[in-house]
Amino acid sequence: MAADPHKLKISKQINRPGILMSIARLPDSHRLFVGSSDGKIYDLDIMAEKPEPREFVGHESYVTGLVHLESQLVSAAYDRRLIWWDRESGKQVRTIEAHQRWIRQLITTPDQQQVITVADDMVCRIWDVKTGKLVRELRGHQEETPHHFPSMLYACAVSSDGKYLATGDRVGHVVVWDLATGKELTTLETPIMYTWDPKARIHSIGGIRSLAFSADSTRLAVGGTGKINNIDHLEALARVEVFDWQKQERTHEFKGNEHKGLVEHLVFHPENQWLLAAGGDHNGFIKFLDLEKKNVLKQAKAPMHVHEFTVNETYDTIYAAGHGKLVAWTLTD
Amino acid sequence: MTSKRHSSFCGSAEHSLDRRAFLGSGMQGSALLGAGAWGLNALRQPALAEVLKQKEKRVILLWLAGGASQLETWDPKPGRPTGGPYRAIQTSVPGVQISELMPKMAGRLKDTAIIRSLNTKDGSHGTGARLMHLGRRDEPNLKYPDLGAVLARELGRADSPVPDYVSFYTATEGRGNAVGQSGFLGARYAPMSLTTENKPLFLSRQENISIQDHQQRAQLQALFNERFARKRNLPAVASHQEAYARVRGLMASETLFDLEQESQKTRDRYGKTLFGQQALVARRLIEAGTPFVKVSRAWWDSHGQNFETHLELVTELDHVMSTLLDDLEERGLLENTLVLTLAEFGRTPTINGSLGRDHFGQAWSVSLSGCGIQGGSVYGKTDQDGQTVADGEVGAGEVFATIYQALGIDHQKDYHVGARPIPLTDPGIEPVSEVLA
Amino acid sequence: MISRIITIGLALTTLGAFTASGQDVSLQPPEQAIADVVDFYLERSLGEINQEASGTATDATLLRRTTLDLVGRIPTVREAQSYRSDTAPDKRVKMVERLLTSPGYLQHQVYELAQLLHPDDSKHLQNYLTHAVNNDASWDRIFRDLMLPPAKPEEAPEADRFIKSRIQDIDKLANDTSVLFFGVNISCAKCHDHPLVEQWKQSHFFGMKSFFSRTFANGDFLSERDYGAVQFQTTEGETKTAQLMFLSGKVVEEPAWKEPNDEEKKKLKQQLEELKKKKQPTPAPSFSRRNKLVEVALSTQEQDFFARNIVNRLWYRVFGHGLVMPLDQLHEGNPASHPELLQWLARDMVTHNYDLKRLLRGLVLSKAYARQSHWDQDSRPNPEWFAVANTKPLSRYQYGHSLQMASTSPDEFSLDDENQLRERLQRVYSQNGLAEQLDQPIHDFQVSSNEALLFSNSDRINEALLADRNKSLIGKLKSLENDPQRVELAYWTILSRPPNDDEIKLLTTYLAARQERPLDGIQQLVWILLTSTEFRFNH
Repeated sequence: MAADPHKLKISKQINRPGILMSIARLPDSHRLFVGSSDGKIYDLDIMAEKPEPREFVGHESYVTGLVHLESQLVSAAYDRRLIWWDRESGKQVRTIEAHQRWIRQLITTPDQQQVITVADDMVCRIWDVKTGKLVRELRGHQEETPHHFPSMLYACAVSSDGKYLATGDRVGHVVVWDLATGKELTTLETPIMYTWDPKARIHSIGGIRSLAFSADSTRLAVGGTGKINNIDHLEALARVEVFDWQKQERTHEFKGNEHKGLVEHLVFHPENQWLLAAGGDHNGFIKFLDLEKKNVLKQAKAPMHVHEFTVNETYDTIYAAGHGKLVAWTLTD
Repeated sequence: MTSKRHSSFCGSAEHSLDRRAFLGSGMQGSALLGAGAWGLNALRQPALAEVLKQKEKRVILLWLAGGASQLETWDPKPGRPTGGPYRAIQTSVPGVQISELMPKMAGRLKDTAIIRSLNTKDGSHGTGARLMHLGRRDEPNLKYPDLGAVLARELGRADSPVPDYVSFYTATEGRGNAVGQSGFLGARYAPMSLTTENKPLFLSRQENISIQDHQQRAQLQALFNERFARKRNLPAVASHQEAYARVRGLMASETLFDLEQESQKTRDRYGKTLFGQQALVARRLIEAGTPFVKVSRAWWDSHGQNFETHLELVTELDHVMSTLLDDLEERGLLENTLVLTLAEFGRTPTINGSLGRDHFGQAWSVSLSGCGIQGGSVYGKTDQDGQTVADGEVGAGEVFATIYQALGIDHQKDYHVGARPIPLTDPGIEPVSEVLA
Repeated sequence: MISRIITIGLALTTLGAFTASGQDVSLQPPEQAIADVVDFYLERSLGEINQEASGTATDATLLRRTTLDLVGRIPTVREAQSYRSDTAPDKRVKMVERLLTSPGYLQHQVYELAQLLHPDDSKHLQNYLTHAVNNDASWDRIFRDLMLPPAKPEEAPEADRFIKSRIQDIDKLANDTSVLFFGVNISCAKCHDHPLVEQWKQSHFFGMKSFFSRTFANGDFLSERDYGAVQFQTTEGETKTAQLMFLSGKVVEEPAWKEPNDEEKKKLKQQLEELKKKKQPTPAPSFSRRNKLVEVALSTQEQDFFARNIVNRLWYRVFGHGLVMPLDQLHEGNPASHPELLQWLARDMVTHNYDLKRLLRGLVLSKAYARQSHWDQDSRPNPEWFAVANTKPLSRYQYGHSLQMASTSPDEFSLDDENQLRERLQRVYSQNGLAEQLDQPIHDFQVSSNEALLFSNSDRINEALLADRNKSLIGKLKSLENDPQRVELAYWTILSRPPNDDEIKLLTTYLAARQERPLDGIQQLVWILLTSTEFRFNH
């Protein structure tokens, strides 16, 4: 039973109060951990008949990042904190005041020795998982937009060989770093993803919301939205650009043709069969992009605006967290 | 919103509630006032007027066009499903918290009062804005003067060398909703309206005409215009000569709009954004004697991405407002200047799929700072999710009554349109005394 | 007081005529001349409330007013002087006919309709309207062209712009169509049943929107789907599917349709993409909702909205106040000031195939139209009685073109050669630089201090209007022998009338004080008249 995006269908859908901002998964299971706008992390089995979530209480605002590591969870939130949790007892093992402003994303390195955060203080921080110590700070993004407003640092990604780290911000600026040394290797720009309206509404919207490296680390996918006319709404088509980052060349521009809003999360298939993007505006979408053919393999409406998703080991099930819902899709019969 | 009939308008500001309201024949706005608006108000007490003018009260209105979110400014609900991701922070007033997006104002509430219990029942940009400009609804045959027009009348001088009422609205969105309205007070009190420029165009006399000729030509023109208008007692006609009558005064005020006159330090303090610059011009204008300046900051209508938009705009508001208050205080002006933040409505506590908030007139906030205000006071409460007013519900009328009282103006004083007395606020409306000093 | 109640009572009893089309026995007979019918109904109302009317306007005033209303400019000196000295009893009728058959009528009509249909950018529809007006298109033809742009662009060039410019916002498209062609603003019925007007519910708004909801742009071409319906949320939270419903509440039948499945949709999408790439139009749908709208709106049963709206708007243009006010509130709760008159004119409009020129002719030949605009007694009567002529601020084009003419030497327009004269006037119409600097008046217009400053201090204005050139008025005035002559000619050129003794005295004194620098004096004389209230308004 090969996984085939054309067979995409929802296998389970759960309504949850609030906005589910982040998601992690216990390997080889349907057990999910979701970070919510109520500051809690919920632990539940999505396939259970009546999932009875366990709660991890400690954050004071939207839990925007969640990773599962061995027997622990690490979470990050708008409250600027990183919290380590014992997965089974639910106890807080460690709490760090990690940033001066709101943390937007949390990821782990492939070797799971480090976790990485990005926040609106425009700093990317690398933390040692075991000790919680700050390993390095990366400063490559301006604190203010060119229009004199505070900026945001939304996205980060690590390549699967653990060598490279990418960060992306509000104004469409991407930095690719050597993870081991913290050196800036290159920068890329996706200005279309940032709309500044100087005339009608005099503020901005958009930004890079997601990043992902291809399996061979040579490509970097950047997700956001297109140029917006009326910046009161997310009315532009969801947008993905792909770069051969070492050559600083854009190789793909997926302008979108159906679904509007932000691309909130991106994941590459390990054998490059597809690039998966999901996100939304008032509604949600999920899209499989074919990099070889430079087109959309499959796209569909999602039951909600997706904020983050995770894919299982065999790349045939997708678990997504978003506005008021938790959804699992399968790609097999 | 309900589908029941209610007394507020919706949609086009021209909707007519009752075309045939009996107001007497021939009543059309200022038609009965005659060519000059000075025949008004026989009941006004000259002594009080003098006192007011001596004290030189001023108002700066920060008009947050599009509807700023009360939850991301003055009335946060952290930890609630409607609260959004931002925290609340302690302010300089014990027990009072505002959004973490306003750290500067949090330290400066000593001169500011917040009203949290405003329910204007109107979620429409056009009619909501009109309501919050006039403090009430227009009647079909009667157009009320807006706050700026009233204050230009009350606080301005007949032969003023500075404009009475200046309004900034640079963004193109929503400008039509916030148009100044002098109503039955006539065009004399219409605002000097600045849109694409930060200073009025054409303030300097051309070199090919002498000062004397410029004035004498205007005088003879005025004579002919007055004759023409005499038997055509119509607001549009009267407005023509009124506009020309102001030219000389306006020309004299040119330097007020020139920010080069301020030190670099001061300009840097207000910051590089347009809103900041215009707030500085506003300070200059009121310092020179302009009674009312409106600085509009458009456009807050964050149906999508409310938190990102408010991160930008509230950060700016916090900075500009606190700089303005500090600047006014340092110059000894704050005591006589009232600074307001108003909007057409607030935003929904419920957060939509685009992480946005929509229009919401049922429970929102306004702020008043400076002249006549009990600093640090907070009036009214909303429920734990901000969905309804829990205590101290007020409407636009009460807010306006409070503004007038803060300036020492009797909110029940009457203007007259023909024989009909028209109080500044509707009968029965009382100011919120808890926020008055 | 009592007579007003009676009048209102009468108005209410004729409300029945509002929704019923066609036959109404109590109306004046259809063969009557429009002008006579207008005067009949207006005078009857005045009689009922015992209201006097103002006297008749002078020839000079009436000529200026009619010229501005029909051809959008002030009269030339020659036109003004010859009209005044003409003694023929039918000179007014002849004057109106001359204006209506002049190219200026067509040009002005283009500007008026462009302003109406696209107030934000009146250039937008100018190409189409120029074509339509020059080909004598009736109002229903124009409506049809804009709603259903013909496949062959030569038939109606750029007619698709009306819809195209609103294609991103179907709500706006539906409401604008409703306001401009039916006189009905239903936008607040979008969120909830209109709080004040029983007649308008959410189903009306969404019913109208449904006529447009299948329309979209595929590249440069307008396109319409075979399927799709509008859904809306009621205030009770119920989701409803809108039916095709016209403003009268009439539900319109349409053939059953099926939402295509994902596969079919994908195919359709691909087809559209192909056509877009090839820059080709899409095939017409099997059933066009927009076509249905035109059919319904112009049908005998439903045409009231369409007919009344255009009558009301033309009435407003000419009288400065509509029979129904505001112009976008033609509904049961807002009766016309003279319901039978409106009904009669609407019937006449339909019978004569929406011929706009016919109505304009009739209106400007009425006695009511020729009344003075000044009122010598105390309280000026309510405008809805049309007892006194209104003053109307000049539109930006009228003002711009009139300023150009008024600052040009009258010799330029005193030509015997008709063709040359026509050409010269045409040139005036085509120069819009000045017009575009001016405000376009809205209802309840107030002159801004910006305008006063512009005229007082702008070098461009100075250059355009007060420059000393031999073809300018300034140049001409310089060449005259004495100051009284200068004042006289200045008045005729700018204000289209002779000056009175007092005016001559004041202005010759002014000029005399500047006799060492006569050019300054002349420029200031011209400025005073050009910037006068009398010039700025149509009175």
